[in-house]
Amino acid sequence: MSDVKVQKAMKQHMGLTASRRISNTAIYIVLTIMSVIWLIPFVCIVLQSFRVESTWQVGYVIPRQWGWDNYVNLAKTDFWRWYTNTFILAILTAALQTIIVLCMSYTLSRFRFKMRKPLMKLMLVLGLFPGMMTMIILYRVLADLGLTQKNSIPGLLLVYVASSGMGYYVSKGFFDTISKSLDEAARVDGANRFKVLVKIILPMSKPIVIYTVLTAFMGPWGDFVFARYISMGTSAGKNVAVGMYDWLSQDQIGKNYTMFCAGGVLVALPVTLLFLFLQRYYVEGVTNGAVKG
Amino acid sequence: MAAISLKGVKKIYDNKVVAVHDFDLDIKDKEFVVFVGPSGCGKSTTLRMIAGLEDISEGTISIDGVVVNDLQPKDRDIAMVFQNYALYPHMTVYDNIAFSLRLKKVPEDEVYEKVTNAAEILGITQYLMRKPRALSGGQRQRVAIGRAMVRNSKVFLMDEPLSNLDAKLRNQMRAEIILLRQKLDTTFVYVTHDQTEAMTLGDRIVIMQDGYIEQVGTPTEVFDMPANKFVAEFIGAPKMNMIDTRLTRMGDSYMVSPFGVNLFVEGEKKNLLLKNDVQTQKITLGVRPEHMTLLPAPAPDAIPCTLQVNEMMGSELHLHAVTEDGSRLIARVPTLSLTLAQRESLKAGKTLYLTFDSRVMHFFGEDGVSLLSDADYRRQLEIKKENQKQEIIDALASSDKSYNEIMSFLLGTKK
Repeated sequence: MSDVKVQKAMKQHMGLTASRRISNTAIYIVLTIMSVIWLIPFVCIVLQSFRVESTWQVGYVIPRQWGWDNYVNLAKTDFWRWYTNTFILAILTAALQTIIVLCMSYTLSRFRFKMRKPLMKLMLVLGLFPGMMTMIILYRVLADLGLTQKNSIPGLLLVYVASSGMGYYVSKGFFDTISKSLDEAARVDGANRFKVLVKIILPMSKPIVIYTVLTAFMGPWGDFVFARYISMGTSAGKNVAVGMYDWLSQDQIGKNYTMFCAGGVLVALPVTLLFLFLQRYYVEGVTNGAVKG
Repeated sequence: MAAISLKGVKKIYDNKVVAVHDFDLDIKDKEFVVFVGPSGCGKSTTLRMIAGLEDISEGTISIDGVVVNDLQPKDRDIAMVFQNYALYPHMTVYDNIAFSLRLKKVPEDEVYEKVTNAAEILGITQYLMRKPRALSGGQRQRVAIGRAMVRNSKVFLMDEPLSNLDAKLRNQMRAEIILLRQKLDTTFVYVTHDQTEAMTLGDRIVIMQDGYIEQVGTPTEVFDMPANKFVAEFIGAPKMNMIDTRLTRMGDSYMVSPFGVNLFVEGEKKNLLLKNDVQTQKITLGVRPEHMTLLPAPAPDAIPCTLQVNEMMGSELHLHAVTEDGSRLIARVPTLSLTLAQRESLKAGKTLYLTFDSRVMHFFGEDGVSLLSDADYRRQLEIKKENQKQEIIDALASSDKSYNEIMSFLLGTKK
């Protein structure tokens, strides 16, 4: 290569890195701005929850006096009861719903039976109806079973878990990508279908199991409309969102605003921890080397 | 250690496709049987039915005298090696091999002993703590074989275990499977589409096409006495030369006239033709390339033809030639049977004189069935095929339409 050509090539190379650097910088700037915008509300809430000089809304963000008063005051209300209600509800829902969804997905992915396709289509169609439509009839059913007001927690559990088989799409899609010959090998090796699912399929599907657990947990944890409807103002049957909502009414907000923020922080805590702990499984791919390749 | 018996086994898929027709076979204890045939011939389906991975539509399969039709794979006491290895990717090699033993709740020290023992036989001891993705294709296949080995089961099933390996490794693994077989001394059923594997591994070979068994026999039998044209062409490489010609009977002697050259049929072949009382008819004459003899000069019994391609394979030459009427012939000639000068003279365009004697002739009637096979076999074959044709027609006619109609009504869709 002649010198001219080398120089030209080098120039091109330099140009390439320069343009890459510019685009990278632009991307980082945009990302930084977006994350700041997203984080502002959270930062505000955390800061407000430590403000002790006044309990109402004020025009500044940084507290003038810091303290744990708002968190301590929560204990004087029904907050921890609601919190426990929600927590139990979310844990149980997450556990049951995950089991049902994974079994359902495995069945639809691996078994071939006559009604398989009609069933899948039916569930797809049913899933398109908004959940709100069913509220009145569900209320009547739960009322007849005596599962409203102070008994609304088991009632809610029933509602959350009952339809969970319909959320099979994502995990069925994932199971479909796992070679069937792994199932067959395990079955020949002496495993029954359940053991195949537990010992072969699930360990290979960690990301999807985690996803299922997280979504199943988040549903009841953040539910408001249905929980409020079923509990009918009875404190014992409220979840944390419904309970805390009352603090924001016209006559209460001045008294309870900072406490509301403290409650909000506590509500956000388990979900945040859950995500921090489980996020690494999201990216972990484990299917390499299963079959040929 | 078990005999397997398949009686009238049939596989019909949901879409009414018949994958396997009336499969009858008795596999003896400790026998190595190979199912071979082109893809889609039903060989894998049959194997999977033995394993319990496919339902049996009709007929019975029994292992060791016990009908296993309704038994789960885990209850059949079989081991299987898959084409794509099917190793559990989240487990180490050790755990992969130990999986079946742990399911049986074998004590852990016994598991250790068995796994290390199998690993030693297969030469994978140093990889025991690796995950399958860190292994090469050959090593993975060894692990898959190891996983089947430790089960010590009655029947060893292998579904094209070598077809994902490269040619060199395949030869090596083939030899290892023969050694493995000597060590395990159990019943093997092996599926392949490669006739070389079938010939070298099998005690008996089952040649299949379109769900039918074409012939069952030892490698020698299927090579020397192919039952029909399909078997004749499938076994052996390059495939058998097929020459359309005429078989003439004159009293107690027979004559064929390929490309106008008259050749008399002598010896054993003549006796078989006489026994079957074969008359003068149009036939397809089959001669394997390796049975063609290259003559140095024209002779009364030599077929003249023009050399087109000379493939030097090392130990032998594959001579592709074309006769005067445009038919193609292939001859396999050992390299050492020719002098260097003779070999160099074999260039495209040279006229060759090929011949063969009656020991190597195969005669196929117009229906493709060998005229040398006994008459009973031919009759059975015809009755069977006729029956099966009728069955398919019946099945199609009575196929259940009501279910589809109800579903399309319910969902408002039409297929």
